[in-house]
Amino acid sequence: MKESNGKNSVEKPDQDQDLGLYFLELCRRKAKEELEDYDGDDDDDEKEESPSELNTINSSGGFVVVSTDKLSVKYTSVNLHGHDVGVIQANKVAPIKRLVYYFEIFVKDGGNKGQISIGFTSENFKMRRQPGWEANSCGYHGDDGFLYRGHGKGEAFGPTYTTGDIVGAGINYAAQEFFFTKNGQVVGKIYKDMKGPLFPTVAVHSQNEEVLVNFGKKPFTFDLKEFEAQERMKQQLKIEEIPVPPIASYGIVRSYLLHYGYEDTLNSFDEASRNTIPPIHITQENGSDDQETTYALNHRKALRQLIRDGEIDVAFGKLREWYPQIAEDNTSAMCFLLHCQKFIELVRVGALEEAVKYGRIELSSFFGSPVFEDLVQDCVALLAYERPLESAVGYLLKDSQREVVADTVNAMILSTNPNMKETKNCLHSNLERLLRQLTACCLERRSLSGEQGEAFQLQRVLSTDKRS
Amino acid sequence: MSLFWIVIRQLAEIEAMAASKKVITREDWEKKLNNVKIRKEDMNKLVMNFLVTEGYVEAAEKFRKESGTEPDIDLATITDRMAVKKAVQSGNVEDAIEKVNDLNPEILDTNPQLFFHLQQQRLIELIRNGKVEEALEFAQEELAPRGEENQSFLEELERTVALLAFEDVSNCPVGELLDISQRLKTASEVNAAILTSQSHEKDPKLPSLLKMLLWAQNQLDEKATYPRIKDLSTAALEDPV
Repeated sequence: MKESNGKNSVEKPDQDQDLGLYFLELCRRKAKEELEDYDGDDDDDEKEESPSELNTINSSGGFVVVSTDKLSVKYTSVNLHGHDVGVIQANKVAPIKRLVYYFEIFVKDGGNKGQISIGFTSENFKMRRQPGWEANSCGYHGDDGFLYRGHGKGEAFGPTYTTGDIVGAGINYAAQEFFFTKNGQVVGKIYKDMKGPLFPTVAVHSQNEEVLVNFGKKPFTFDLKEFEAQERMKQQLKIEEIPVPPIASYGIVRSYLLHYGYEDTLNSFDEASRNTIPPIHITQENGSDDQETTYALNHRKALRQLIRDGEIDVAFGKLREWYPQIAEDNTSAMCFLLHCQKFIELVRVGALEEAVKYGRIELSSFFGSPVFEDLVQDCVALLAYERPLESAVGYLLKDSQREVVADTVNAMILSTNPNMKETKNCLHSNLERLLRQLTACCLERRSLSGEQGEAFQLQRVLSTDKRS
Repeated sequence: MSLFWIVIRQLAEIEAMAASKKVITREDWEKKLNNVKIRKEDMNKLVMNFLVTEGYVEAAEKFRKESGTEPDIDLATITDRMAVKKAVQSGNVEDAIEKVNDLNPEILDTNPQLFFHLQQQRLIELIRNGKVEEALEFAQEELAPRGEENQSFLEELERTVALLAFEDVSNCPVGELLDISQRLKTASEVNAAILTSQSHEKDPKLPSLLKMLLWAQNQLDEKATYPRIKDLSTAALEDPV
């Protein structure tokens, strides 16, 4: 329903925009990753503050003493009734954008009655009551081993615990469960029926009771990594049941190779696929789709090779000869990236004087342009370092920068294909579109569940080993 | 925009609201898709992982050159692994067993089920080639003792020997054992065992990611309507109906 966007369906606003600008963005991201010492978690949204110590301001003052490191609490009074519990919350709410949140306590002293509890409470929890006694709280109690969830009455749950025991409380966001551990073993789990932010909470309620809290600064007694791995595995098993025709992967790999012009790989792949037992026929049901991507395959491969080898002049020459329509505008993002790359290659081989000369002729015009300025400056900054590779702009000298330039040229050539139906298909391979869809679905689903749970990250999938 | 479309659109929204699902327009969804960051290196790794795990040694070598992506396994080991796989696929089971043992004798030592399946395949090949006497001898001497250790082995053995009872195997109930798919099954079992012995995953990551995509879409369907990808081979977004 094209009419629904309120615009005339004939015009395509994207087409006037320089496609190559997309790749400038990619360069900027690389620069950023370089600075931040990339750890695979490039989404700032994923970073949340975690509890690190006890909150000494919002605690039941008078009944308890908190140590100066704010990691242990002791009941110093004599308890008289149910409204003088020594409760203390963590300084931050439990982070939610993850698979599991977990913390532990060590019961240093069970005191007179061992009325210790561990659990989670909401922000406005009454700070003189045991977690679990009031609505919007939940606690595993040491004296009876019961679990309390918002009522005065608990339910049989796990063993009791006292002096010397290490007890943990966690939130499993994937399963929407609370779980508790004693001395490294899970004692039980229960449906998480509380919504909103939750504070890790501990309580002591008889004389001399003392607990030390570990928010993860020290290693946990409970093997959290293993627990997380098992949770992921459970999910994975469900996912593995979904049928996907085995041939689908072959088709996607093939179209990826076509898209980026990895022609030699493609030929080997096709050759080998024909010779397997039984042969794999990756038929392109959609004939035009194949046409879309075999377009200029040989040229794209040749130019990629030249750029990867640092032969920018030759690449530029070929480009002007074969595709004058995209090479003639010297102010395009693609030409800009090629000029930068030429400059970078000169720096790489130590031809600094020549680099300066080249920069003056080809790059100076890009200074002052808001679109290009930061990248030009990065390039020129290479001159300032004796060992540019180790500098903050060292990313420019990496193989991946050549790859970006090659990808830009590749996309621009694809855009000259008169049969290309959607311009954005020049930018993204099918594989990339599938991965984007996957990521967006996971993020959207999480956002509709109050941001609970971990997001999909390709990086993590690539680094996990599931040999079993 | 014509009034007609406005009405249609509102109706659609009301309908969706009734099911308390969020409605995400194509425009909004594309914005979300554009915000996703996928690194080229990661996609290259994914493709390399596929080529390597599936045994495309030459393609992997080319891909390393063309994309600068390093394989996560020594490419030389792929050739050996593929030779074993091919031997089973073409019915040369003895040859395959020898090659596996040359690669790493522990693979079969520590994997009695795999070893049994290879021996079973050998028996199947003997029967296929009409070597009845040899087959019987092999079954009694090599396979039967293993069946004593394991009930399921014994059942498998009996099923396989049953092939001998039929003159025309095309109509016999266990005829599927003679099918090419049985060879492929055994071959992929050996392939997986070799990969595991090389501390490598036995399956490529890409198929799992495709499953994950379908799963993620199903999950989101419960909460929202949005443009989906139905056809993995075109990766085209389809508007919600």
